[in-house]
Amino acid sequence: MEGILSWLGIVYENTLFIYGLVLLLVYALLALLSMLAIRYYTRKDTQHQLDILASSPMAPGLTILAPAFNEGLTIISNVRSLLTLNYPRYEIIIINDGSTDNTMEQLIAEFNMVAVDFAYNARILTQPVRKIYKSTNPAYSSLLVIDKVNGKSKADAVNAGINIATFKYFVCTDVDCILHKDTLLELALPVMQEQKNRVIAVGATLRIANSSEFDEGVLIRMRPPRQLLPRFQEVEYIRSFVLGKMGWSYINCVPNVSGGLGLFDKEVATWCGGYDHSSFGEDMELLTRMCRYAHDNQINYAVRYIPKTLCWTEGPSSVKIFSRQRTRWARGLAQLMYAHFSMFMNPRYGKMGLIVFPFNFFFELLAPLIEFSGILIYIYLGVTGQVNWPYALLLLLFVYTYAVMITTISILWDQLSFGYYKKWWEVAYLCLTPFMEFLLYHPLIVFFSLRGYYYFLTGKKSTWGNMQRQGFGKKKK
Amino acid sequence: MSKILLVEDDEIMPKIVARILSSAEYELDHVSNGKEAFEKLETANYGYDLIITDIMMPYANGFEILSRVKSQPSPIPVIIVSNAGNEDMIMEGFKLGADDFLKKPIIPAELLIRVKRLLMKNK
Amino acid sequence: MFEISIPAFLDPVLNTFREAPLAIRLAMIFIIITVLVTLLAYFSILRSRFLGYQRRKRLDYLLPKIDNLIIDEIMAHPEVAAGTPASQIQLNLDGFGELPLHKKWARQATTDRIIHFRRNVRGNAGHLLRNLYIQLELSKDTMKQMKSSKWARKVRALTEFIDMDIPVADVTLLPLTNSRNRELRAAARHAYIKLSKNEPFKFFDVVTDPLLMWDQVELFRIITTTEDISIPNFARWITYSSNKSVVSFCLKLIIHYNQLPAVPAVIKLLDTKDHYLRADAINCLGKLKVPDVEDKLIAMYSSQPLQCQIEILKAIGRISSGKQVDFLKQEFLHSTNFDLRKAAAKSLVKNDWVASAVIQELLATANRENLLILKHCMNPLIKY
Repeated sequence: MEGILSWLGIVYENTLFIYGLVLLLVYALLALLSMLAIRYYTRKDTQHQLDILASSPMAPGLTILAPAFNEGLTIISNVRSLLTLNYPRYEIIIINDGSTDNTMEQLIAEFNMVAVDFAYNARILTQPVRKIYKSTNPAYSSLLVIDKVNGKSKADAVNAGINIATFKYFVCTDVDCILHKDTLLELALPVMQEQKNRVIAVGATLRIANSSEFDEGVLIRMRPPRQLLPRFQEVEYIRSFVLGKMGWSYINCVPNVSGGLGLFDKEVATWCGGYDHSSFGEDMELLTRMCRYAHDNQINYAVRYIPKTLCWTEGPSSVKIFSRQRTRWARGLAQLMYAHFSMFMNPRYGKMGLIVFPFNFFFELLAPLIEFSGILIYIYLGVTGQVNWPYALLLLLFVYTYAVMITTISILWDQLSFGYYKKWWEVAYLCLTPFMEFLLYHPLIVFFSLRGYYYFLTGKKSTWGNMQRQGFGKKKK
Repeated sequence: MSKILLVEDDEIMPKIVARILSSAEYELDHVSNGKEAFEKLETANYGYDLIITDIMMPYANGFEILSRVKSQPSPIPVIIVSNAGNEDMIMEGFKLGADDFLKKPIIPAELLIRVKRLLMKNK
Repeated sequence: MFEISIPAFLDPVLNTFREAPLAIRLAMIFIIITVLVTLLAYFSILRSRFLGYQRRKRLDYLLPKIDNLIIDEIMAHPEVAAGTPASQIQLNLDGFGELPLHKKWARQATTDRIIHFRRNVRGNAGHLLRNLYIQLELSKDTMKQMKSSKWARKVRALTEFIDMDIPVADVTLLPLTNSRNRELRAAARHAYIKLSKNEPFKFFDVVTDPLLMWDQVELFRIITTTEDISIPNFARWITYSSNKSVVSFCLKLIIHYNQLPAVPAVIKLLDTKDHYLRADAINCLGKLKVPDVEDKLIAMYSSQPLQCQIEILKAIGRISSGKQVDFLKQEFLHSTNFDLRKAAAKSLVKNDWVASAVIQELLATANRENLLILKHCMNPLIKY
């Protein structure tokens, strides 16, 4: 018995050691790859290219899909800001997902909307569409509003929009997200500039809007969030987008295009059946299915990311709402891994099966479990006096400094290429955040993830339904 | 003296236009987005003789400005100056009642002629 | 041997290091490395922000001056308004002498500003801006950039030459048109079309790799905005090019220039085996409104894949000869495909100057779904 236990202990120790080492190496690699990707982006004269595209008659048409549920407070200014995006050829589809407030009435009144007889081919099954509205004012001719029965999910609402979308590509966003005015131009470029592959999705960096200044849906001034929890999220987003997604994009291994903003190939998305309304992480789920579909049908595909921040979203500022969000994300991840496990290490799925999926499995899904078990074992060993404290603390210090370094590097890439924020001390403020992340923020995420896995295993009914969005302008005066 | 409102978010274009439409003959007001344009129009009680506007601008685009201006009891003539190369967009502008369209880059003399012609017509 | 004095307080650290197993030793070394890298990152952030701040400050000071000079010397030049050709106008450069043009950044800023002006004005004033650029000898830096080993610099130099319309020798450009770097290759091709005085469209003959959507956007802009370029009959490449993307791009140019002499070549292209190309050809014929082609399109209709069928229906709507109403009605009533019925309905509506009776009849008799399609297509509020 003793022998087996100590043998197990050694196996665990070594596995963990290798696990940790690989994780550190992957992050070092991502730092390098993201640097190459961002450098390429900043070296080509992007601004000039955007100007050319904005004035070109050959720009591909884009459809913006923005679902809205009880957004009465901000809907008008947000639709207005969508109407003023720089792009020569696009339509905006707002999907009113059975709002119980006056969202629909406001839209009708403000934009002179009338119900029209609209014929479309519903390739994806959704909750019934009640009516479709168009504006009688030619100034708003690019606007279309769908009024549908509440489907209790963003997925169902967006699917209704995909059915009606005219153009070959759709840009999915949330009506409470604030977009950069060049968003559509930026997202269209990677599609047009890809050499051999068919680009099925493009994403861009998201940021937390909490303390930044907005005026009627237009960004005035970027600021790091003053409150600690949103500031942790800002730092996390910079790391995950600027360093993570850009690194993956460089080798065409992007695991997820965030639900806040993404461009998708409509044809492929429709063939896949659109978003899955039973998924808790519908954005990642759709992308995984699209990639899988592309592999199954011999389409050489690419998913690309842009380092520039194009979308600002309200990050939860209370632990309660934050916990719901992260629990949901973790549950979505567990669902996804379970549903598509046949891709794991499956050479048929190329990079998807051999890199993206294993990485997500080991370092996203398992990480919270491993960390948690590690802590338990440490406590056990500590209590029984088997820990060499100086060594343990040294290892901990190493992990700590490494984590801070990686985050700082991602802030550095962001600063070198875009120089966001007005004052240097705002950046310094941001740079201090990772020092606390390890002790305050990270444990929260581990805990909420475990809770998400638990809900997944027990199949707990979700309670958040439509409440997932906490509304953005609500605090705005 | 004719009062002209220029709505343009480029920083150089207003300087050029200010020089083309000399201050001896025209009173030129410049705003750089749709919101300011509406504010200016409201405070002046739509008392402009001509509006020169771009299409793609923050807050409210050229189409909205056109639609608002043309729904007034005495519509102000509007010239669109834009780099839009998409014909649909230009057609849209004319549908909304734009009186003229000039594609950027413009020929200064041409702008002057068109401005004069429109002002004459509406005198 | 080296004698390095080590402060006493580090002794316990050193002792730990000496006694520790390999993993711990590595960890200790890496702690030092990560701390150093983090500090370096802080330093770089500060440095880049400081440089950015300086740059902004300098430009805030300089740009208004440049703008005023350009406005005064070029825009307000009395002879420009009088219509004197730019080549005969003497520029007064005294004012520019006061700019710090001996500094590279100031030269760059002036160049960028001149380009910015040229994106807003053309004609005589545009030519004069070009003369200013040449007389201030701003192209010298750009010439140097062309010799740089970095692709991004070369691309920037080429873009500048394209914007300023400065001729570059073919011997310089041609090798770059085959560069392995996509951006550089594309920029060199654009420069060749814009700036080569020999045969700007020669590159259509030689290009073997597909033109990306983006390349087409840039080429289209350059071809349609270059003032003294002679536009060839694009049928030449429709007939002889084996590069599908070149053929497809030429179809778009034919539409833009409304090149009716190219129509026979486009009609011949209908026999191509490539579905996409055939769809493009049908689209082109529709947009050129070639009436004689309708019968041929209808004859081939039933054997076509969906995308070509849709294009045929659209083309008939665009041509709107009024002769094919029966065919459209047939398709609208009997096609099993939604997209085909919708395209047919749209084209019927576009033919309504002869088809209004048919449309009324259909409105009265169509089933629910077809009625909806018809109403959709007749509603002027709905664009697509």
